[in-house]
Amino acid sequence: MSRPFPYAYISCPCANTPAPDPSRKRRSRESPQKASPEKPRPELQLDDEEDEQTFDPRAPRSNFSLYPPEQLLYCEDCHQIKCPRCITEEILCWYCPNCLFETPSSMVRSEGNRCARNCFNCPACTAPLSVTTLENRGGDQSGPWVLSCGYCMWTTLDIGIKFDKPTNIRAQLAKMTTEPSMPAIHTRQVSKTFGDLKSPLSMYSSIDDQLPPVDGSRPDNEDQPSDTSIPRTRNARFAALKTFYKDQVAATTTSGVDPGDFGASFSSPNTLHRIMSIYTATRITALYGNGNKKARNRPPVMREAVSANEGLALPKPSSETAIIQRMASDDCGWDGLASLEQRAFQSPDARFVEDLLPLPSLLRTKRSKRCKSCKHILVKPEFKPSSTRYRIRLIALSYIPLATMRPLILPPTTSASLPSLSSAAAPNLDALTPQRPIQLLLTLKNHMFDPVRITLATPSVTPGRVASKVTILCPQFDIGANSDVWDEALQSATAPDRSSRTSPYEKVAEAGKVWDKGRNWTTVVLEVVPGSLPGLKLKAYKGVGDDDNDDDDDDSDENEGALDWSGKSKDPAQQIQPDEDVLDIPVFVRMEWNSDSQIDPEEGIGSGKGLGGDSVKRELAYWMVLGVGRIES
Amino acid sequence: MPPKAAKGEYIETDTGNKISRRSQIHGTQHIILGGKSIIQADAVIRGDLFRTSSSSASTPDSKSDPKAAAGGAGNSIAITIGRYSYISRSAILRPPSRLHRGVHSYFPLKIGDHVFVGERSVVEAASVGNHVHIGKDAVIGSMAILKEFAYVLDGAVVPAGMVVPSWCVVGGAPARIVGEVGEGYGVEGAEGGMARERYRMVR
Repeated sequence: MSRPFPYAYISCPCANTPAPDPSRKRRSRESPQKASPEKPRPELQLDDEEDEQTFDPRAPRSNFSLYPPEQLLYCEDCHQIKCPRCITEEILCWYCPNCLFETPSSMVRSEGNRCARNCFNCPACTAPLSVTTLENRGGDQSGPWVLSCGYCMWTTLDIGIKFDKPTNIRAQLAKMTTEPSMPAIHTRQVSKTFGDLKSPLSMYSSIDDQLPPVDGSRPDNEDQPSDTSIPRTRNARFAALKTFYKDQVAATTTSGVDPGDFGASFSSPNTLHRIMSIYTATRITALYGNGNKKARNRPPVMREAVSANEGLALPKPSSETAIIQRMASDDCGWDGLASLEQRAFQSPDARFVEDLLPLPSLLRTKRSKRCKSCKHILVKPEFKPSSTRYRIRLIALSYIPLATMRPLILPPTTSASLPSLSSAAAPNLDALTPQRPIQLLLTLKNHMFDPVRITLATPSVTPGRVASKVTILCPQFDIGANSDVWDEALQSATAPDRSSRTSPYEKVAEAGKVWDKGRNWTTVVLEVVPGSLPGLKLKAYKGVGDDDNDDDDDDSDENEGALDWSGKSKDPAQQIQPDEDVLDIPVFVRMEWNSDSQIDPEEGIGSGKGLGGDSVKRELAYWMVLGVGRIES
Repeated sequence: MPPKAAKGEYIETDTGNKISRRSQIHGTQHIILGGKSIIQADAVIRGDLFRTSSSSASTPDSKSDPKAAAGGAGNSIAITIGRYSYISRSAILRPPSRLHRGVHSYFPLKIGDHVFVGERSVVEAASVGNHVHIGKDAVIGSMAILKEFAYVLDGAVVPAGMVVPSWCVVGGAPARIVGEVGEGYGVEGAEGGMARERYRMVR
């Protein structure tokens, strides 16, 4: 989701601390005991920043540290902003996004992470399917039922499936797809003698029906009463293969039975014996070779599954050609083939649109979030899937000031420095004129219950090739506490009028003065001169030195088109890289406040900077990126 | 950032709703506005498509002329919009409809508080929860349910009958869940909590 201009992103400091930093590990180890002095943390970052360069919003690393403010959390124990990379998640509950029912965690795995009720997604277009009756005119809502997609008009009739009742569709569907001789499936009659090794809905299962049983001459093992039926579906085949290989592993590790003797290897070994022999017999055998009493002359060999009982499925050699012929036939065509996206969630055998089965809805989760370093819970939502409330929610927005911006619309008369032609209207932030200064109102709103002192710092010229000049007219200011709203109401009642509401047109931005101030917010003016894009560099070059904007604007306006064209054909360095024309301003924010730490007094002692009895001086510093707009090319 | 309208563009009701004079609202007696909601120019709100109650079940033809039936069933509500909701330019709100017992009938469209409906979007949802954001050029299919804090991206086509759970971001055609909004979404003044600010900007 790209944001419309203007936006403010906040950089999580975790990107600055490299992963194998020993000091970080030490800190994280100590922090649960609350013994570490937590105060130096922001200062450490300050030092880091001083050593390094200013934050470059366009650096490749910045992509990973910049977050919209509402996605950030705040750990009260570490006193630090936490981004989605600094947290761990724990699943609270699973729920179906369609019916919003919770699935108990014991059932999640058995249901394959999918809804066990009537929620299905269209296999063709992923839209949710609805259960509809075929008898619309009846009025008594009876008759066969189908799943139909309201988006692409796919129905289960396309694959020849109808349901007898509108409830428990998933069980009905599972029954149909596992039992081949269902009356609803009219398309093919599958012989029951040898199981169809695939879903009965796959069109070419009829090919496999003619497949002679693999190892048909081989007699079935008598000592295997459980496998009376041959596995039919993929899942059953997988289960058969799994048990087979488990048995193989067990058989080869337990005893020195001759591996060639298949009948013996199939017998399920005594569990206790197997466990015992894992720790005694095999190890001794492995160590000393023939030292064991049950000495083996040769190591046991695991064999592969060879019969259909064991889950082996051999496609008929002609099945591939049959598929190809079907693809080439006229009634299939391109539309008859399932796309890669459709096949991704289907059985691997599904090649055609007719093979696609409705997909039960994937479950979603509600998760609680913990700080990765100190393991404190930062976010804990209510358990109920439909609830939107939180038991614990430590979001960064309730700690760091929320920055909003809007362009300052200047009256045409008072602005002497600006060209008076079009400055009265709001500047188009999607097409900022290069070298024409604009002024923005940057409002910081405090959500803490303590007043905060803010220091803003920004490089005078933005990093990157498009050098825009930035000036914060009042870089240091205070923001009031987020006190009771009634206080403000009473104050504004006593005060005759607030300066903000009088008339913004009469004010002029002055250096060193805040523009406006409210109960818990302060507005300062940010003056930005958008830089010239590289394609225009030749002409704009003159204008950068002297701040004569009128001439420069005219020049660039005249020559914009020609230069841009030539820039594209010439040097790649002269071309504008993608999003290089976005005017991003890095701003370093440092906030100081005195917090009343009566909640956990041991932290106040640990910080060692307690001023009074219960007041602790805190500070927090971070980089913020203000996206002002896009420079017109 | 909504475009600033000319003076006198909006009619302000007693409860603070600001309704553009250029909006097209049909069947006003079947529409409930919670107050402080904004309806911009060229928005179409079809209050005339309300559920013709049991009397119309016998005569399904009455849906072809709903305005004639409007006088008969004056108490049926077609569209409910909560407080601080914002209907952008050229958006269309239509009550959802479906075949119910063989009769094509309309169902009420409920829109919660702090809802944003983007430009040129078509909403036929059954219910739109609080703090839902619907981007521009989006289509919300008939009988869809958008739970609280759902976020519909620009140009998304939410299929008919889809349920978008809370905090989920949906996009694409057909829409599917592509992500979740952050925990701070909907905080006053931040992303998702700009409804009061938007209301203030409109004059």
